[in-house]
Amino acid sequence: MMKLKVKEYFKVKSIEEAINLKIQYGEKAMFIAGGTDVIVGLKNKKWTPEVLISLNDIPGLSYIKEENGTVKIGALTTHREIERSSLIEKKIGALMDAVKNLGSVQIRNVATIGGNLCNAAPSADTAPPLLVHNAFVTLECKGGRRSLPLEEFFLGPGKTAKKEDEVLIEISLPTPPKTAKSAYWKHTRRAALELPIIGVAVYLDVDPREYGRLQQVFDLPDSTWDDQLRALNESEVFCKELRVALGVAAPIPLKVKDLDGIVKDKHLNDQLLSEVTDVALQKAQVRDSWRGAAWYRKEMIKVLTKRLVLICLRRILKEV
Amino acid sequence: MRYTINFKLNGEEMSIEVEPSWTLLYLLREVLGLKGTKEGCGMGECGACTVQINGKAVASCIYPVMEVDGKEVWTIEGLAQSSGTLHPLQKAFIERGAIQCGFCTPGMIMSAKALLEENPSPTEEEIKEAIAGNICRCTGYVQIIEAIKHAAEEYYGSKK
Amino acid sequence: MEAKNKEELEQFAVVGKPIPKRDAYYKATGQAFYIQDVTLPGMLYGKILWSQYPHARIVNIDTSKAKRLPGVKAVLTGYDVPEFRFGFLKDNMPLKKNKVVTLRDEVAAVAAIDPDIAEEAISLIKVDYEPLPTVFDPIEAMQEGAPLIHEEKGTNVLPLPWKLKVGDVEEAKKRSAYIVSDRFKTTWVTHCCMGTSGCVAYFDPQGNLVIYANTQIPYLAQRDFQEFLSVLGLGDKRVRVIQPYIGGGFGSKLDTYAYEYIAILLAWVTKRPVKILFTREEEFKYTSPRQPTIIEITQGCDKEGRLTFREVHMILDNGGRTSWGATTPSVMMMPISSLYKVPNVLYTATCVYTNNTYCQAMRGYGNPQATWAIECSMDELAEEAGIDPMEFRLINANQPGEITPQNFKVSSCALRECIEEVGRLLEWKEKKGKQRDKARGVGMASLIHVGGGARVYRSDGCGTIIKIDDFGKVQVFTGATDIGQGADTVIAQVVAEELGVSIDDVTVIWNDTDICPWDVGVHASRTTFIACHSALGAARKIKEKILQLASLILGVSEKELNIKNGLIFSQKDASKNISLTKLLRNIHYRTQGTIMMAEYFYDPDTEMYDKEFKGNFSKAYAYGTHGVEVEVDKETGKVKILKYVAVHDVGKAINPMLIKGQIYGGAVMGMGFALTEEMIFREGELMNPNFRDYKILTAKDVPPIEAVLIEPWEETGPYGAKGIGEPGCVPSAPAIANAIYDAIGVRIKELPITPEKILKALKEKEGS
Repeated sequence: MMKLKVKEYFKVKSIEEAINLKIQYGEKAMFIAGGTDVIVGLKNKKWTPEVLISLNDIPGLSYIKEENGTVKIGALTTHREIERSSLIEKKIGALMDAVKNLGSVQIRNVATIGGNLCNAAPSADTAPPLLVHNAFVTLECKGGRRSLPLEEFFLGPGKTAKKEDEVLIEISLPTPPKTAKSAYWKHTRRAALELPIIGVAVYLDVDPREYGRLQQVFDLPDSTWDDQLRALNESEVFCKELRVALGVAAPIPLKVKDLDGIVKDKHLNDQLLSEVTDVALQKAQVRDSWRGAAWYRKEMIKVLTKRLVLICLRRILKEV
Repeated sequence: MRYTINFKLNGEEMSIEVEPSWTLLYLLREVLGLKGTKEGCGMGECGACTVQINGKAVASCIYPVMEVDGKEVWTIEGLAQSSGTLHPLQKAFIERGAIQCGFCTPGMIMSAKALLEENPSPTEEEIKEAIAGNICRCTGYVQIIEAIKHAAEEYYGSKK
Repeated sequence: MEAKNKEELEQFAVVGKPIPKRDAYYKATGQAFYIQDVTLPGMLYGKILWSQYPHARIVNIDTSKAKRLPGVKAVLTGYDVPEFRFGFLKDNMPLKKNKVVTLRDEVAAVAAIDPDIAEEAISLIKVDYEPLPTVFDPIEAMQEGAPLIHEEKGTNVLPLPWKLKVGDVEEAKKRSAYIVSDRFKTTWVTHCCMGTSGCVAYFDPQGNLVIYANTQIPYLAQRDFQEFLSVLGLGDKRVRVIQPYIGGGFGSKLDTYAYEYIAILLAWVTKRPVKILFTREEEFKYTSPRQPTIIEITQGCDKEGRLTFREVHMILDNGGRTSWGATTPSVMMMPISSLYKVPNVLYTATCVYTNNTYCQAMRGYGNPQATWAIECSMDELAEEAGIDPMEFRLINANQPGEITPQNFKVSSCALRECIEEVGRLLEWKEKKGKQRDKARGVGMASLIHVGGGARVYRSDGCGTIIKIDDFGKVQVFTGATDIGQGADTVIAQVVAEELGVSIDDVTVIWNDTDICPWDVGVHASRTTFIACHSALGAARKIKEKILQLASLILGVSEKELNIKNGLIFSQKDASKNISLTKLLRNIHYRTQGTIMMAEYFYDPDTEMYDKEFKGNFSKAYAYGTHGVEVEVDKETGKVKILKYVAVHDVGKAINPMLIKGQIYGGAVMGMGFALTEEMIFREGELMNPNFRDYKILTAKDVPPIEAVLIEPWEETGPYGAKGIGEPGCVPSAPAIANAIYDAIGVRIKELPITPEKILKALKEKEGS
């Protein structure tokens, strides 16, 4: 068995220590948390750091809490811990969907949400859910901290706005109103160990004047998506907010912009959703790759966005 | 540069000098001679190298050895008791046809053990989720799931 | 003594019982050692440099830097070693000279004191290539002017004009009321053994070769390596093949590989043990996968639905070199001629060199590919004839006692029962054609496979030596190999049953050519049938001896004696008995004593194919039917299997638990073949050499599977058994495709049936 080509492995006890070491070793060093991306990249020569700076022993970076109307997740929180969080289950459905289907239990036990974001793969599962929740990331450097919207964090495949001497310490997002729910669909060929062919996240907040038959149809064990869509069309649900984000549809996880004008206060129905997916397709830069054809990915953006709206509605109705 | 790490391995306190270039799997197989844990892919994609770290199932082929410091590790070698009594999972796997070529077996059993220690009476769905990261080419998983179910009953039964 | 029928079987002590696999204890405790675990003193690590181009002339290889790297003990290229050709058409050699014809070609090899140094040395070898025009499509490769893969052959078409002709297909066409014709394709899929390939080779102090090999053909490999030694000037030396536990076979180890010869070369040059072990990426890229096929099939039937003819033409992409892939037509003939009753058959297959990877055996050996086309076509023909597909199959089902167009003598055959059982379990009558509105459907497909060995070589034999020690412990030395399927267990079962001893007292030893007698190999699902017959032959000899000696001691006729639970007793007078161990010690420790040993070589009275590819090459044939209920998501194209039933005619199940293990494993492999698995090549390069992108199914993907054993009495089988290793993955793909057709009215003809293909077909259907 071959060894990692790593000469030094530092386990730091503070962010300052981490940053100092990174400054000292510069490009020769990489931060590592769970390692499921870093070590794999090392092994297949995606990168060749000589020094690894482990953030795992830094206290106080692993938490899930709600404070002052903000949900805060420490960057070192593992996906497994997020999976187990009732707060996330209740309020950030899309993120729960994402972590439940990420990799495998073995991966989720060590891989961190901070790592998932910093790795910045266009397929990062936690990204679209966080984007639709208007998440912020907080970065710390020697000079202090700064926060920026997640939308501005991703710059390209594997590239983020995090500077060399910064550490991602927290992900935060506003506590959604009780009437808002989100959902994430990871479209894959198998049920585990997968990166998505396409990933779609939707955040929905509604102003329901009349739910109509929706609840009934949702309660039927074998109601089809078509049945549900029809019930939606017939109902009087109006859209307060509808946000969509896509994974594997652009060089970065993509929040679909300019939807507000189309959806705000509009009657939620098939037609509106088609307009939404039209915009999504315009904004997306879907590619052909041997992992998936562009036409199929585009088709799935259309299909899955609609389905996710229905899933969100189902979740909203559960609360009511 | 060598570092000393202190950890518990299969219930025993260990203090070992390691190199930062080692993964946990390397330590287990190449240094400690514990060949039970297997390398199936080296990339954390198949589960053959699964061990328990602080009770959680982890792919040891991508787990840096330096992270093992201060932790408790269980491998397949630690399951059977010194008296020779098999762990209920081992017994169930043997008795229920869950083992063919056996290469995935140690990792599979460790994933199942991590599951049962956290959730002693899992549903079939929960079992499948727990072993979704353990690839088996021989069995089609059916008898493995049956074995885990059976061990859960016996394991859970003995806990009562 | 064997049972004459099922009733007698019920009284057996271990045969027919779900005895746990004998080596499971070692595997469950992490004590089983695989090639990965073999370490010898002074061992070096070998690594191989593969070609950078799919087709190129080797202009120069500069190994100087690599040789100078500290820790490197040898660097070899094709120019440093005597030429040796291996492979079915002898167009392969351990290290390539002059030109490379695939990205799989081995160009250089290194042995070093640790794997990291070996890898670094590889990166220091500089090869200058002159790229040549490439061809990756077999049809293109057949055309005039296509780049020639092996110039000396003058053509890319292999000199293997596979052809089977029975009756008169043209005439039968005229008499047919209904005819369908279609084209089907399968692509490369690979074994994905969880343990990667590897070997450790060394020369003992007398210059004999010892090789720890992950092989399924220890004795054929031994012969191949012996030939190789002659070329190295070591023709008078011996070869010993030792098999560690094998981390999966599935046919991947039925041929010798270049890396094995390379390990031998490195060991020879360095005079030290050399280990070569593939990484997972190397396993995907550099082992030989399943043979892809392009299949044109035409079938016809009369007004009553009886098949009149079957015409199949295949083009096989042989890749750059030849392994068993080019011989899969010899097995594909089997379902083509003998799955269902079809009186007129014409089959041709053309193998064509390309710059792609080359293929060898994989579970089913061509049968899954051929059955894919046949069973999809059967559904198409049934539809054309206006007959329900299940009914259509029953009309044409094979029957016991049949002689098929290839002259197979079918003894037991429960195909009808299998089809009917599937129909019952799927609720066929209630569901077929009735769930379109829910995009649900049911489908089925059957299989035939060899179940009583297969005379694909001149010998289909297996040898066994049995000895019993003074303590009544039995050691069975068999030439067979356990690749996880349970050979070690079923052999122990039949021996324990025959000798009347506890199964815990029987140990099967199978992994050393120095110790065990010859066997042709673990292929063709032959091991239970042939190896158990062989073991029984030896066991019977020993039993005879034991009873003879006991009769002298007890003073009764042998005829009334039997052995059960380690006690030899008279069936007429129970008081006349003696424990086996007492007898053994009695006859051993005396003047001119004797110990209990016996040997037996079993080779069935079957035939090799004659010049027309006809001949009863197996003693018995296995049948089965798989049935599937699917639900298709018409907007995403994803297929969900709601129910999967696998009904198999296995003769008598010596070990029902292990048989089911084969069926489940085969079915899941078949599902992968049908829906998700494919090796994706671009210009000969494998894009997905890992488990993330090669979609082998996980535990979460597995639908509810029911395995049902139909056990007709197979009088030629050991305790009535037939083979099962391969049948499990043969009919899965067509069963699923047929169910999808029932659900949504589209037929995908190229595997795997991906969501994209379904969605595209649905849109085309809507459009038209």
